[in-house]
Amino acid sequence: MSAAAKAPESLKKNYLTALREALDEEFGANPDALCMGEDIGILGGAFGVTEGLQSKYGKDRVIDMPISEAAIIGAAVGAAMNGKTVVAEMQFIDFISCGFDQIVNMMATYYYRTAGEVNMPVVVRGPAGAYGGGALYHSQMNEAWFCHSPGLRVVCPSTPYDAKGLLKASMRDGNPVIFYEIKELYRQREIEEELPASDYIVPLGQAAVRREGSDVTLVTYGNNVYHCLKAADALAERGVSGEVIDLRTLVPLDETTIFKSLAKTNHVVVVNEAPRTCGFAGEVVARICDSAFDLLDAPPVRVTRLDTPVPWAKPLESFVLPSTEKIVDAALRVVRF
Amino acid sequence: MKSAMKPHPTPGRASEQLTKEDCLEMFRQLYLARYFDVRLIKEKKRGRLRGTLYSSHNQEAIIVGSIFGLRPTDWISPVHRDMPMFFMKDMRAGWRNPDRMGMSIEEVCAQVWCKSGSPGRARDNWSHIGSLEKRIIHSTSMLAGTIPVAAGVVLADRLNGGDAVVLTFNGEGSTAQGIFHEAINYAAIHKLPVITVVENNQWAYGTPVQLEVPTEDVADRAKGYGIPGYIADGQDVFDVYDKVMEAVEYARSGKGPSIVECKTFRAYGHGDHDDDRAAKYRDPHEVEEGRLRDPLAICRRRLIEKSYLTADDAIRFMAEGKSSSEATTEDFPPEVVAYLDEGIRFALASPEPPAEEGGMWVFKESE
Ligand SMILES: Cc1ncc(C[n+]2csc(CCOP(=O)(O)OP(=O)(O)O)c2C)c(N)n1
Ligand SMILES: [Mg+2]
Repeated sequence: MSAAAKAPESLKKNYLTALREALDEEFGANPDALCMGEDIGILGGAFGVTEGLQSKYGKDRVIDMPISEAAIIGAAVGAAMNGKTVVAEMQFIDFISCGFDQIVNMMATYYYRTAGEVNMPVVVRGPAGAYGGGALYHSQMNEAWFCHSPGLRVVCPSTPYDAKGLLKASMRDGNPVIFYEIKELYRQREIEEELPASDYIVPLGQAAVRREGSDVTLVTYGNNVYHCLKAADALAERGVSGEVIDLRTLVPLDETTIFKSLAKTNHVVVVNEAPRTCGFAGEVVARICDSAFDLLDAPPVRVTRLDTPVPWAKPLESFVLPSTEKIVDAALRVVRF
Repeated sequence: MKSAMKPHPTPGRASEQLTKEDCLEMFRQLYLARYFDVRLIKEKKRGRLRGTLYSSHNQEAIIVGSIFGLRPTDWISPVHRDMPMFFMKDMRAGWRNPDRMGMSIEEVCAQVWCKSGSPGRARDNWSHIGSLEKRIIHSTSMLAGTIPVAAGVVLADRLNGGDAVVLTFNGEGSTAQGIFHEAINYAAIHKLPVITVVENNQWAYGTPVQLEVPTEDVADRAKGYGIPGYIADGQDVFDVYDKVMEAVEYARSGKGPSIVECKTFRAYGHGDHDDDRAAKYRDPHEVEEGRLRDPLAICRRRLIEKSYLTADDAIRFMAEGKSSSEATTEDFPPEVVAYLDEGIRFALASPEPPAEEGGMWVFKESE
């Protein structure tokens, strides 16, 4: 489903392994790369993304940090301004809030307020997303906070190929990046794919068309890519042809790919897992209205989480989150407008 | 193990005032806390539970010893490893007494089973429950995050003319959070009755204490705030009781906050999902040594010394040193097993909350 993997000798890799390979390869190529986080060294990370890296690159480059998110991010900023490329792990992206000030007021603004003197090659990455029964503090998609903080790139891969390529691109970008890993995809078998044996990146700011269609465009990212693909299957059974766009990078946003699709379909549903109010789907809809209103035959529609936290019990969690059914309903409403 | 109070005089021995009945009740409560843990691990292995279990095995003396002497009106703020505390608060008032200032075993089991009978109606997981009525601050995942909240609770209590104290519970790893400093600093300036109990179990997930805390004793942090820092033997329920009661007296008399560090050892993995990995990242000798001083055995020895237990009674139930798979119901007093049975029966019968509740209680609706 992602760009063709032309490496017949390589085996299929899951999303988590792809991330680990990205770190490993970048660490091998760049002696100034280091990572800092809670339980990332001895343990190899709560989910195992950094497994084996400390024994390979040493305690000075794979640093077990105290439970201090603000210090992890702040120290990443300092090391980055002094020549290092730093990957800071949040054990769950939910805990990024404990380092919020260091991100939005320190890291995000550094380049701007120094008139371009200080590069900030920091990637703050961590497991994100709901659908796994993680409840309020192990389910968040808080990307909107950072999309709203100028100076930060915001990235969210949905496939192993992209996970690796986008993480590598993020580490080389030179701007601070908030990198959302979808933990429900870490070990998902169905999405495993072969990865190129040679070095590659997925450039930031390029969306991917995951499925071509002619009647309605479903714009999304992260776990909802799969709900949208299933929705497109269901829509096809009803004679509606859905096109699915995976944004992959939110900042910068690839408007061109969206508008190109709208020129064909004239209908759009935007899906995000985060709450509705001031969520990223709203931004996408606004951009479409700003620049591509003429292409629309019907008002754009959002499918998002309700404006609630993510509750624990399964029926409650499903009630508040986007689902294939909710996307199908929205798409039918749009095309029948 | 150092057992000093710094920088204040040696703490009193409040435990010497405990009656025989009190001591036997504490012993029983240790068994209850242990059985809760053993039983839930068994239930999880049987596939009857989902969600992660954070075992309090080997740390029960901290749970029982620190809350046993509280007044019903006092507040507690438990964290992930303190699950039994929710139903053990004010347990002296009678395990099944509905008016006591603690949750019922039914409510806690319903929470564990993710059912609507939970005090939080299964909106958030594991220890993330609480009760205004029972004076239990609702925990979240954000480590050390309830310490400032606890300070605010007792601030309001003081303003209302109350004399309640609050006990917050934290792992040693959690003391690295910035909020830990902000909250205790504030409480110290304003002499608020906030007691920060630190359960130093030597590990924070996969990271050993030396990489979390720069000093030998977390209690040393107290010096920086000019407040007492006590150190308790976390395996000895009576030593925990002594040190916490000293801190409680100090707080209640208006002198302000303190830190009570309880030295202990995490028996299993961080959570049950981590058991296999923990077996690799921890030295088996360290684990063996850390579990050598079982709080049940230490309490039993004390009770025999005091002649509160006869030699025959003392060996009737022998759960100590046994893992969840080794221990059987025969290792526990029947009233302990029966109590939990009731809780689990209630939990299994309690319905799941209805889906629409996911959208409720975001805001208070105006009437
Ligand atoms: C702010 C924050 N960062 C990270 C975590 C993830 N986390 C949960 S428990 C834990 C380890 C806690 O160790 P410690 O405080 O020593 O308590 P213990 O589990 O040993 O009882 C970590 C890192 C979290 N819950 N909150
Ligand atoms: Mg600990």
